[in-house]
Amino acid sequence: MRNSGAVLILTFIAKLILQAAGVSPPGKPRLTSCRSPEKETFTCWWEPGGDGGLPTTYALYYHLENSETVYECPDYRTAGENSCYFNKNDTSLWVNYNITVVASNALGKNISDPVEVDVVYIVQPNTPENVTAVVVHDEQGPFVRVSWEKPRTADTRSGWITLIYQIRVKQEKDEKWEEYDAGMQKYYNVFSLHPDKECMVQVRCKPDHGFWSEWTQTTYVKMPNYIPRERSLWILITIFSIFIVLILTWTLNVKRNSMKLCLLPPVPGPKIKGFDKQLLKSGKTEEIFNTLVIQGFPPTTDYENLLVEYLEVYDNEEQELVLDGKELSEDFMKSKSSSDNDSGRGSCDSRTLLLEKCMDGREGSGSDQHQYSQHGETSWASTESSESQGAEPGSPESTDGRAKTWPVVFPQPHHHYPVGAVKPAYHNVPEILNQLSPHATPSNYHQLHHQDIPQQELRFSKSACRHSQSYNQFNLDSIDTPAPGVPPLPSLEYVEVQRVNPENMLLLRPLSDPNREPERSDCTGEDYSKVKVVTSHNILLLQRDTSHQCVDDYSQADQCTTQQPPHPCKPAVHQWNSVMPQEGMRVMGNGYVDSTVLMPSF
Amino acid sequence: MNRPKVLQAWLWCVSLWPCWLPHAVPLDCKDETGSFTQCTSISQEKLLDRVIQHAELIYRVSEESCTLFEDMFIPYPLHYLRNQGGNLCHSKPFPIPGSKSEIQQISDKWLLHSVLMLVQSWMEPLIYLQTTLNRYDDAPDALLNKTKWVSDKLLSLEQGVLVLIRKMLDEGILTTSSIFEHTLTPYNEQSPEMLESILRDYNLLICFKKDAHKIETFLKLLKCRQSNKLSCLSY
Repeated sequence: MRNSGAVLILTFIAKLILQAAGVSPPGKPRLTSCRSPEKETFTCWWEPGGDGGLPTTYALYYHLENSETVYECPDYRTAGENSCYFNKNDTSLWVNYNITVVASNALGKNISDPVEVDVVYIVQPNTPENVTAVVVHDEQGPFVRVSWEKPRTADTRSGWITLIYQIRVKQEKDEKWEEYDAGMQKYYNVFSLHPDKECMVQVRCKPDHGFWSEWTQTTYVKMPNYIPRERSLWILITIFSIFIVLILTWTLNVKRNSMKLCLLPPVPGPKIKGFDKQLLKSGKTEEIFNTLVIQGFPPTTDYENLLVEYLEVYDNEEQELVLDGKELSEDFMKSKSSSDNDSGRGSCDSRTLLLEKCMDGREGSGSDQHQYSQHGETSWASTESSESQGAEPGSPESTDGRAKTWPVVFPQPHHHYPVGAVKPAYHNVPEILNQLSPHATPSNYHQLHHQDIPQQELRFSKSACRHSQSYNQFNLDSIDTPAPGVPPLPSLEYVEVQRVNPENMLLLRPLSDPNREPERSDCTGEDYSKVKVVTSHNILLLQRDTSHQCVDDYSQADQCTTQQPPHPCKPAVHQWNSVMPQEGMRVMGNGYVDSTVLMPSF
Repeated sequence: MNRPKVLQAWLWCVSLWPCWLPHAVPLDCKDETGSFTQCTSISQEKLLDRVIQHAELIYRVSEESCTLFEDMFIPYPLHYLRNQGGNLCHSKPFPIPGSKSEIQQISDKWLLHSVLMLVQSWMEPLIYLQTTLNRYDDAPDALLNKTKWVSDKLLSLEQGVLVLIRKMLDEGILTTSSIFEHTLTPYNEQSPEMLESILRDYNLLICFKKDAHKIETFLKLLKCRQSNKLSCLSY
């Protein structure tokens, strides 16, 4: 009794002393895990429970399920600290191992709880090896191809272990990893990666029944900078634009006619009644001019009255010559046949301003004479002087569309020929000449003189021959004053307007006499030349007057290709005397070619 | 005296010759109409793959059954009671080696026969297990269903292995599991106490899980041994 009591007390005191000294038996160790990397060997780890301040040794003991024989761990070193490694010889499959760890130190020992282990259920392979990630450039865009090797220890070749792999990918600044199952293959293609970013890849593997291995070390790969082709967007855009194009086409088709009118206004064609445009296209000049000839026109009754040297044109406040842009033929016919309301007055709106009409009212007064000149296509040339105040605007007003010919006649700033409407204005010579004689008051008349007026002459382009010959038709019925000394003229008399002098006088010259001799040889202007003779080939041979400085040659040749034949003589510039119409008349009568002579041959 | 008897025996054998044939005849397959037609043949490779799939499935289901049973009936502290006290898996006609090196030395023929033996040895115990599990009041339905499913699957697995044996080894085997002792009969007679019964059942499930794993492993080894299959090289 006493002894046991004494022993107890001594033990208690010893413990207290030991505790004060800090030493104690070891704590209970604990087996943490056992793992087999290839189903052939395995390793167990434990953690110590506390050494109690004294050096402690650990021992692992096991026995198999069938036997009671206890074995100790064969290898404490291979797997490191606090571990036990069972090699191939010591490993049995499909057999439970009962494992315990014993910790012992000077003061005592401690035994861990036993653990039952079957090797086939604790397989955890090593990590895959040689993880490589390369960028593959494809037409669809680059992607990353990750490839790896199986862990060296795993025997998959004989089928002992079957491994399946898993990879995970993370791009920089992403928070989560993307995991992909790769099955039993050893590569994987990763798509849908953002360009120009670094990409991190890790791989792990697992046997068919076991644990996942650890993730491999991170493999880095940099994605190239590329622009993803968004095909779907381009397809949408294409379809949309095709749709719009179709709608536009349909709309244009529907509005075809109005579009045509808007974009391509109709070009006025030749508007000669009875004239076939096709003839122009065919290019046969003979036919063209044949059609221009209206048989039986003009009446040939009063031919002798048509012999005038020049035409006097005047205007006053009451009368004005109006340029009319209407059809030549129809107006002409109309005015010829019916009485003109404008006659005698300044309006003279009708297209065919017949001299007759305007003169009827003024017969004897000598103050109203109208010059009618008619352009084939566009308008009348009318003389309007600035003296007819306010009348001048009247002409342009009435001929806004026909203003093409205004510049032809009037000394206005735009003294240029209208495009395409370059027509010589021809005045019927006889009529012109007829007017001259009874009227001796120059002041009342706008003399169609050739004078020295500044360069405001009428220039007739040589291409005039391409157009239909325009001529002035005058009603010659009323004219019954034969010009003296003028040979009988053929039915048509033509006068060309040479220029408009500052006094707004149309200087005309008859074209009917190809045989005028050049009586006047002085020539102060350089604008036109006197026609000497018309050859059989319808060539106007112009006269050159060496005494004058005529530079310009004007040839009213019907054949445009015919250039002016080189003449030794310069064309005569005829000076028109503003004083003496008589002179001028003569001269005019001498120097000009009646184009009507030429006409039939066109 | 012997001669006529020998002759008689020989005649018997000859007349009963057709009786041996049905076991070598290909199995009859039921088609959609229900009539028996000859099964369409399947390549050896595909058959082996299919057998392996069966084995894998069976293993998974057995693993789940074990887990279910553990969760239901075995509290954690009693886990150590596994395989204690002589609750061992029933013995086999011939031992199966337990290390890789030994197993790798087994020939194809013995691998297949081992698989067949394993499969056949578990057919009876599984039926027994179903009956005992039904006795428990709170056995989960999932467990019961799985057990039933496994025993059905085991039958098809056996058939597949037999065909494999015939194809690969060119031998016919009598389909009988009579070679196995019905060691489980004593279990049927007794109604042991609860804990014992539970532990025994638990042991059965554990052992079955192991054997299922063995079957699967052997079959996979067999697959990679086929000379025409080079795919195992890349795995």
